[in-house]
Amino acid sequence: MTTMRRRKARTWSLLGDVKRKPSAYEAVTAKFHYHFRRDPAPWELDPEMALNRWYLDHREGSPFNVDDWEGYRDPAKLTYKDYVTLQHERELYVDGLVDRFEAVDHAASYSDGWTAAFASLVVPLRFPIHVLQMASLYVGQMAPSSFITNAAHFQAADEMRRLQRIAYWTQVVANAKDASIATTEAAREPWESGEAWQPLRETLETMLVAYDWGEAFVALNLGVKPAFDAMTNVALRDLARRNEDEFIALLCEEFDRDAARSRAWTTALVRYALERDPALADVVNGWLETWAPKGIAAVEAMGPLFEQAPEPVAGEELVEVAREAQREIAGAAGVA
Amino acid sequence: MPALRRSDWYDLARDLNWNLSYVTEDEAFPEVMSNNYGITPNEKWWGWDEPYKVSYREYVHNQHGKDASVYSVNSVIARSRMFEELDPGWKSAIVAHYGAIAVPEYLAGLGESRMGRFGRAAAWRNMALFGTLDETRHGQIQTYFPYTLLDKEPRMDWAHKALHTNEWGAIAARHLFDDMFTANDAVSTAIQLTFTFETGFTNLQFLGMAADAMEVGDLDFGALISSIQTDESRHAQQGEPTVKILVENGYADVAQRLVDHMFWRSWHVFALLTGLSMDYYTPLEHRSHSFKEFMQEWIVKQFLDQFRDFGLEPSWYWESHFLPELDWYHHALHLGVWFWRPTVWWNPDAGVSPAEREWLEEKYPGWNDTFGVYWDTIGDNLRRGEETKTLPETFPMVCNMCQIPVVTPAGFRAGKLESPEPQIHIHEGRQYVFCSEPCKWVFQLNPARFAGHTSVVDRFLGGEIQPPTIPGALEWMGLSPEEMGQDATNYAWAFEGFEAPGAAAS
Ligand SMILES: [Fe+2]
Ligand SMILES: [Fe+2]
Repeated sequence: MTTMRRRKARTWSLLGDVKRKPSAYEAVTAKFHYHFRRDPAPWELDPEMALNRWYLDHREGSPFNVDDWEGYRDPAKLTYKDYVTLQHERELYVDGLVDRFEAVDHAASYSDGWTAAFASLVVPLRFPIHVLQMASLYVGQMAPSSFITNAAHFQAADEMRRLQRIAYWTQVVANAKDASIATTEAAREPWESGEAWQPLRETLETMLVAYDWGEAFVALNLGVKPAFDAMTNVALRDLARRNEDEFIALLCEEFDRDAARSRAWTTALVRYALERDPALADVVNGWLETWAPKGIAAVEAMGPLFEQAPEPVAGEELVEVAREAQREIAGAAGVA
Repeated sequence: MPALRRSDWYDLARDLNWNLSYVTEDEAFPEVMSNNYGITPNEKWWGWDEPYKVSYREYVHNQHGKDASVYSVNSVIARSRMFEELDPGWKSAIVAHYGAIAVPEYLAGLGESRMGRFGRAAAWRNMALFGTLDETRHGQIQTYFPYTLLDKEPRMDWAHKALHTNEWGAIAARHLFDDMFTANDAVSTAIQLTFTFETGFTNLQFLGMAADAMEVGDLDFGALISSIQTDESRHAQQGEPTVKILVENGYADVAQRLVDHMFWRSWHVFALLTGLSMDYYTPLEHRSHSFKEFMQEWIVKQFLDQFRDFGLEPSWYWESHFLPELDWYHHALHLGVWFWRPTVWWNPDAGVSPAEREWLEEKYPGWNDTFGVYWDTIGDNLRRGEETKTLPETFPMVCNMCQIPVVTPAGFRAGKLESPEPQIHIHEGRQYVFCSEPCKWVFQLNPARFAGHTSVVDRFLGGEIQPPTIPGALEWMGLSPEEMGQDATNYAWAFEGFEAPGAAAS
């Protein structure tokens, strides 16, 4: 016998003497961030070294904190295995969608007007989506519990997902209609200097430097992303349908499944925090006072691009879906 | 299948670099999170080009298949008696592995995520996103497997809790991994985690251990780590393009220093983890190579090639310190770990039965004279029933860099060190002890990173550990009496070829 006999363990000792056996999701997620609020510092180096200070200031020191984050659960309860399984299936669906529309040479049916609208509105979206990907990763690496980290990291992956499908379709449209849209410059030039894109770029660049973990989370997932997603998943879907681009419309609907998952874990997290400390509503709302209008300003400036399409979506309509999305998530999160 | 090939559109999804206007580069990529080592503006990083390309759709399709197959091996094996039938030494090797590796792999995801946010080119940030997902996988899969073994082996609890404790090996692991990725900036992480550690050492741990696992019949562990290795070899490729950019911009010295720093540190922890597993814990009949042979084949050769390919030099300590340590360092650690076995969460397998000693002498000529003599004494004590003499009453010195006990006297005895004394260094009035010149050198590279840290021994002497006794320290380390390591075979090795008390030798 190599080990002294002990009572058979039901679960990890750190999960306590639980009556209910934790789920597999919990067993591979709970208490992985042993470094959160570790004494004297998160990392086993000089307690004052730069990255210890960074985490102490921006994570432990964030006003968005509760006594215990370990009780939070992502409503989707995704492990890595679940995530890749889910998205494997969803990507099979999109593969099928692409096949279907490539088989009928859908891109060749684009009118010149819609091609131009696609080029000016859809093609440069790769840049802001990439920023959303970066920002989700920041939330993930700073979050105080793995239940939050993993949800944020999967969200970042979802951003890459839609970015790549847009890149793919950009190439398809380029092959069918206009080779010049499948270049770096066709996206970067408007992103860097197109008038319609500048408020969005300003919002996203400044959001990147909101380093407090709570503010980074609120700015992204309650302020900016809901407005941006409403623009790209709802308004763009409608615009595509009006212009007989069913492929883009279906793609937008598909991406909104990912966005809905983001909204679900976001509202659950805010609700969890407010239950533990109702005073945090003021903290969240304080940040939203900055970031909700920035999200709207970003979307509003994109109005002319929606209006230039052969069958337009009005600027006011665009702003309204973005506002509605922000109101909805704030309401669901309990901070409206 | 979509009609276009990946290469037709892939550049559009990675050429996403732009010039910031509303914030500065320093604000968006602060040095603490992303040290550019003087390579500015960011545009100089935009040519970063990953050698291995994968799209999101390919990633989820592939990874789904990989996970499905590894988890199905696990569920078949969970219903079998495979685990019970494994050799006790091998079980120790995997209990040690899970404790030291599972949660750190998950944390490597934070380092990847940092590169995914603060990497200085979009292509790099994309690759790091896959790395983030990969490491989430590795953390979860390597806790799930031991989780399913909890009822068979309670020590598997350490797969989850080791890093929560102050067990000395856990401190050494944290100190290394925090230095390497959790508390490292994006640029240094690419070179130290991916270029130095993953392309080199995880290859050794995962390929070597996978081969051994298959040999001993641990299909579960074998399937697990070979599947992990396929991810590692992909995301490890973030190092190469980062080194290239440093070299092209005239900062080969920076890359060299980062590699030299982390190579040494990785070597010490791997000697502790893999060295013991390969040369002592793996059953003799299943050892395909010695640890030294593995090191020579996988690490020495690979790094020398890598150095040459990138215009770097072998580390300054290569000939003088590193190669000589291959002959003695892990043997000394093994002796120490076995002697201080109550301080570890696994059951050290002495691995010095007569046949094993013969193998050790053959693989490491001189082993008997340097190390065998200690095992002779331990064996004598055990055969006389004096187990207490084989257990510790004091603590060894611990290195203020690698956090591993100082074993210099053994190196001196082996004729590989000029003195049995450790390296002593005074910095701002405090005395630091190092196990080796290179550990001291790493400290001196960047004292602000390390100076305020205290080792187990510093804490013991500083009165942080109460009561200041062996039992007090064991409790502080989080080891309950049932969890403290014991000899893996209940001293069977000491009686092989001798007449055991109360039983005739066979
Ligand atoms: Fe890994
Ligand atoms: Fe050391």
